[in-house]
Amino acid sequence: MEKPYILHMFTPEKNLSPFDVNMALDAGWSAVVPYLGIELGEVTALVQDAIFSRSPSGVKRTGIFIGGRDVKMAIDILRTARKSMVPEFGFEVSALADPSGSFTTAAAMVAMVEQELKQSFQTDLAGKNILALGGTGPVGQIAAVLAAKAGAKVKVVGRQLEKAQRVAELCNQEYGEGKTGIEGQADANKAELIKTADVVFATAAAGIEVLSAELVAAGPQLKVAADVNAVPPPGIAGLEAHHKGTPIVGSKSGAVGIGALAIGAIKYQAQHRLLLRMREGKPVYYDYNDAFAVAREAVLG
Amino acid sequence: MEKRSIMHMFDPMPHTSPFDINMAVDAGFDVVIPYDNVKPEEVAGLVRDAIFSRGPVGVKRTGVFIGGRDIGVALNMSDAAKKAMVPPFEVSVLADPSGAFTTAAALVALVEKKLKVHHGLELKGQRAVVFGGTGPVGVATGVIASLAGAEVTLVDPFNIGTALDKANEYNQRCGSTLKGTFASSDADKARLISSADVVFCTAKAGVQVLNASILSDAKQLKVAGDVNAVPPLGIEGIKRKHCGEPLVHATNSAGAVGIGSLAIGDIKYQLQNRLLALLLEADQPVFLDFRAAFERARELV
Repeated sequence: MEKPYILHMFTPEKNLSPFDVNMALDAGWSAVVPYLGIELGEVTALVQDAIFSRSPSGVKRTGIFIGGRDVKMAIDILRTARKSMVPEFGFEVSALADPSGSFTTAAAMVAMVEQELKQSFQTDLAGKNILALGGTGPVGQIAAVLAAKAGAKVKVVGRQLEKAQRVAELCNQEYGEGKTGIEGQADANKAELIKTADVVFATAAAGIEVLSAELVAAGPQLKVAADVNAVPPPGIAGLEAHHKGTPIVGSKSGAVGIGALAIGAIKYQAQHRLLLRMREGKPVYYDYNDAFAVAREAVLG
Repeated sequence: MEKRSIMHMFDPMPHTSPFDINMAVDAGFDVVIPYDNVKPEEVAGLVRDAIFSRGPVGVKRTGVFIGGRDIGVALNMSDAAKKAMVPPFEVSVLADPSGAFTTAAALVALVEKKLKVHHGLELKGQRAVVFGGTGPVGVATGVIASLAGAEVTLVDPFNIGTALDKANEYNQRCGSTLKGTFASSDADKARLISSADVVFCTAKAGVQVLNASILSDAKQLKVAGDVNAVPPLGIEGIKRKHCGEPLVHATNSAGAVGIGSLAIGDIKYQLQNRLLALLLEADQPVFLDFRAAFERARELV
């Protein structure tokens, strides 16, 4: 009999996300085991305990998922887990980080925006001015990084200028691999910023409108707006959760919108594919870059 | 449809060991649920909840595993679990904190076998010294060997008080006749092994306890076993895969042989798998600790 698939799910928080647990079980992992309140210093011992107790055939059917809410912590855990493997003797398992679902959500949003730019405007992300509104959270940070790595000029916009600048700096230093020049900007400057924006990401907390109808109308070159908020009111005025390349009422530049449900469908597929792929072939370490690669596949169908 | 088998894993530490979780899944438990930070006084309540919810057929498909790092705590939890049963509502219990019971059982069973094969002797009456004797594997090794009739001394690397306390504690608890001492210098170690028939090395990984010079002081050494798998190994001249090879540096002990960590680990692995499977197979509930582990280890070698 083949050994069961075991997914060890680490989170620094006091609970796993039931979303991730469902996703793991639906992707065919037969045993899904939570490790709660994980500290970085505990990771090596846990990883080594996980890899040394199954034969080489069992190791291939073992994985680690890293959740939580904090992007930096998840990336640090992923890096530590990778360093803790003993590949020279075949003791190495795959790991996937997706804290708060932010890697797959951001990847889905950016991939869909890219697709819309291509279909409706025959262009791509390179050189575009992007505002990540409510961009200091996990989804906003990673969306900013992915878009910037694809060549866009991204501004992370938050209520406090200082925090937005700090987050932009963190993104450039920790996640951008020296390829990004993300800037921080204050919410108060939105009216000015929208004049040159090609793309808007709305990644604020649920139920907050970050772009009013007035500001939508004030964007002379706005092409695509995407909103991950599924709870009314929408994050962008006139953009409904089910919109998918739908013209935004009130946009004078003919901008189209992508809503939370459309993004969610691609996010779901991206996370599902990563959970499947991490047990195919050689051990892999999946982060937001890999999430983006599978999201780009998923938008093509 | 047959009910699924469920393993409830109680651990006094913040995280159940992924090693034990993998082992439980691979032994055939369909569902494995960790309970972390369990206090001994909580065990009865948890056990009652586990036994009263599945009916007489279901309880046979239910097991309790007790892990952690401290064998005293694990034995207390195991006793508490046993007392909490309400026949016929009772489930099988296996205690193996830090894998100490199965590791110690495998070590002593292998040493016993090599004594027989190479020297025609039983453990009974042999003078045995346990280096690293105050850690979990050391204490369990000492207790098992003592109950099998050996005259066992637990050796702490620093402190005689620690060794005496452990010896007294486990003599009272388990009916063994352990002695305690310490050995911090090469001279202390040489004096101790000069009259030893058997040496168990259960010290910290990566620490050499006995070098060639000390080993040459052994006058009647017959078998030595070392559980350390991380170089430098615990006893000079014993390689990890050794299982009855001559102990080359024991120049004054004719016919002395060594057993290395991989040989012990192989039996430990099979043993833990066997004990876990027993929880599912047994017609009547079983309560398995180091005693059962040693019985089964003897069969396996």
